[in-house]
Amino acid sequence: MKVVVAGKGGVGKTTLSGTLARALARQGRQVIALDADTNPMLGVSLGLGPEQTDLLLGVRQGLDTGETEHERSTEGFVERFGRDAPDGVRLVVASRIEHPDPGCPCCGVSPERLLRELERERQVVVGDLEAGVGTIRRLREGDADVVVLVVQPTAKSLDVARLALEVAEGKIAKVVVVANRVRDEDDLQLIAAALPGHDLWVVPDDPVIAQADRDGRAPLDAGAAAPGVRAVVALADRLAVTAV
Amino acid sequence: MRNLPHLAFAGKGGAGKSVLAATVARLLARDGEDVLALDTDPLLGLTRSLGAAVPQEAPLQAAAEQDEQGRWRLRPGIGTFEAVRRFATAAPEGVRLLQVGRSGREGPAAALPAAGAFNAVVHGIRDTPELATWSVVGDLSAGTRQTALGWAPYADRFVLVVEPTWQSILTARRIARIAGARGDVDVLLVVNKAADASDAARVQDAMGLRAAAVVPADDALREAERAGAALLDAAAEAASVRALHGLVATLRGSTVAGR
Repeated sequence: MKVVVAGKGGVGKTTLSGTLARALARQGRQVIALDADTNPMLGVSLGLGPEQTDLLLGVRQGLDTGETEHERSTEGFVERFGRDAPDGVRLVVASRIEHPDPGCPCCGVSPERLLRELERERQVVVGDLEAGVGTIRRLREGDADVVVLVVQPTAKSLDVARLALEVAEGKIAKVVVVANRVRDEDDLQLIAAALPGHDLWVVPDDPVIAQADRDGRAPLDAGAAAPGVRAVVALADRLAVTAV
Repeated sequence: MRNLPHLAFAGKGGAGKSVLAATVARLLARDGEDVLALDTDPLLGLTRSLGAAVPQEAPLQAAAEQDEQGRWRLRPGIGTFEAVRRFATAAPEGVRLLQVGRSGREGPAAALPAAGAFNAVVHGIRDTPELATWSVVGDLSAGTRQTALGWAPYADRFVLVVEPTWQSILTARRIARIAGARGDVDVLLVVNKAADASDAARVQDAMGLRAAAVVPADDALREAERAGAALLDAAAEAASVRALHGLVATLRGSTVAGR
């Protein structure tokens, strides 16, 4: 199964992706967490810590060093450039922009390509996409099985979500809309009214997750019993059912 | 001399770049400055935060044509200032606004003309004498991409908007490194969504910078974002707005040599 996580910047994509990946791994699945943001942060929410996350090499940059010029298979990239994260998740960073004039940030090893070529039968891929709709636009039909579209109760995030739904239509079979940081019924109504016809997976606003983000920790390590964390773990369970 | 350094707001998604940039732009315009606001994000966060109408297509679309190599640029005869004068639209308080384009259902090809013209404008600003006395406030899309790809060549100063999370801090550090490599810009730290003094201290320590402003976590700002309203229209008296008045005063206290 291949899951991509999309939405406006700052809605909680990365925090959700890291938690989802680990929750799926705890079910006994082999999980690849693909950081498809050129400003990669998925390591933080997986629990590697800010410093370690800042040292991770992107596949694109790894290939640029030339030492692995013969490595061209996507599974080989995972082996060579990935690193292990808690609960047995394998984290792969597609590309990181670290210098001015970086050239094409993805040439040859775009997140779309990595996602497309990763094996889907015996593993789960969780792809944390860059903010906006650019990557979804470049995906081809069948590259991903599920898009988890994260929204929060703000007008801008709902506008991006509507656009993402249009762009994903016909390309990704299943859409799950996650209503994140929901404080009350009004928040939920705001989101439901903006996205009629979509079932919402509600993740309540949770001080434990907020504190984990402040501390640079994985929400699962900060408080697995917190309501927001439990809601994401339950989403992993539901996605697992989808995959069977 | 400039009245004020030309600014580019950058940071992690959701840090509050657009809201802060829009509010600063409007406060400057209210003070009588000529203000050019540059919405570099096709999701149009700055446009929305200014309280301006979201256009069907970027006005610069009409100013573009292809050169011999097929690249989009400003039509010959339209210089940078002419492009601002003719194509920038009016936003509240007299701010003049240009957009890179608009992310729509169509593919990226549809956005290329306006983006090419916008790119020509942002590269022309420093060499346009008429704009030397203007305030320029640009807003970059989330993350490091646009800083690295040179979408704010006009900027004398990058305003790093940082909330007290590690993801936001790491992003701002990366942006500061990338922008700093240009050699001719400085960076200014604004801490946003600070719950208390310790939040501000933590961010400043981690960034190794003193904050030019600390904007408090503010229910009024959250409410404005919820409603999709400009902060100044929704909550002119909010604590966050007071902090941004302070930021504008700080910006006024610093001038840079025109280039």
